[in-house]
Amino acid sequence: MIGIAPLPVDALEDQELRALIAQAAALGVPDERFAGIVARVPHYAKALLRAMLLSHAGGSVDHRLKEMIRVQLAGFARDPYFASLRSTKAIGEGLTEERIAASNRYENDDRFSEAEKWALRYAERMYLAPHEIDAAFYAELKRHYTEAQIMELGAFIAFHYGMQVFMRAVAR
Amino acid sequence: MTEADIDEGIAGAPAARLTDRERLALDFSARMATEPEALDAAVYDALRQHYSEEEIVELGAFIGFNIGYHTFFGTLKFYPMFAPDGRLVSQEEAAQIYGDKPVSLAAGRST
Repeated sequence: MIGIAPLPVDALEDQELRALIAQAAALGVPDERFAGIVARVPHYAKALLRAMLLSHAGGSVDHRLKEMIRVQLAGFARDPYFASLRSTKAIGEGLTEERIAASNRYENDDRFSEAEKWALRYAERMYLAPHEIDAAFYAELKRHYTEAQIMELGAFIAFHYGMQVFMRAVAR
Repeated sequence: MTEADIDEGIAGAPAARLTDRERLALDFSARMATEPEALDAAVYDALRQHYSEEEIVELGAFIGFNIGYHTFFGTLKFYPMFAPDGRLVSQEEAAQIYGDKPVSLAAGRST
């Protein structure tokens, strides 16, 4: 393989880190491959895993929507690692593979609400054309989301975008 | 580190006074931002001559985090709160000082 090999999680002695890895494994995102790589720097690993878990499974934006956004971003980035992962929580809440696939063609799909479409556009533009996200775009987002929710979405998108770049670089 | 070092690093033309170690880290960052799949075994072999596995992970995670958040902050049109001379300035004035491009304070001062 090219890049950095993951450490075996079972060999990690830091119990706090192992608990976070177990929490992530239960969610399904990220799995032990990401965790085993960042575990080479344990204090980074703990901060990154906490941020990843909180930004994905916490907050007030629908977790299923964030899961669709996460997979959508991995598709844009052609990142096979994160694209292959699925949140067990989102699946438990009813998210299906059919709906995840449909989120790639959301614009003319009446099954997606206007709020969901604006969140998906936000992630799409953030990745493909961030310069197009202007004051008018944020004004439209504010019709559907609170400012706190917009920051939650933006921070989630930015964090996963960054970690997908990281995995594309170090884990191939 | 000086503002000139930062400007030269951003410009992709590291000064001769930068070490091989520093140049490799800057190249790693630039490639992660533009073509992460092009980081091949030769790049990692070169990195390992200067950095431990832990340091490469640290660099990669730091760079990835910054790529994501700079993109996000860029959409917010968020500018520094302070002018290069230390004055607290409005976002409008900061935009005039720093402009749209990611230049350092030294470049901001000259505009």
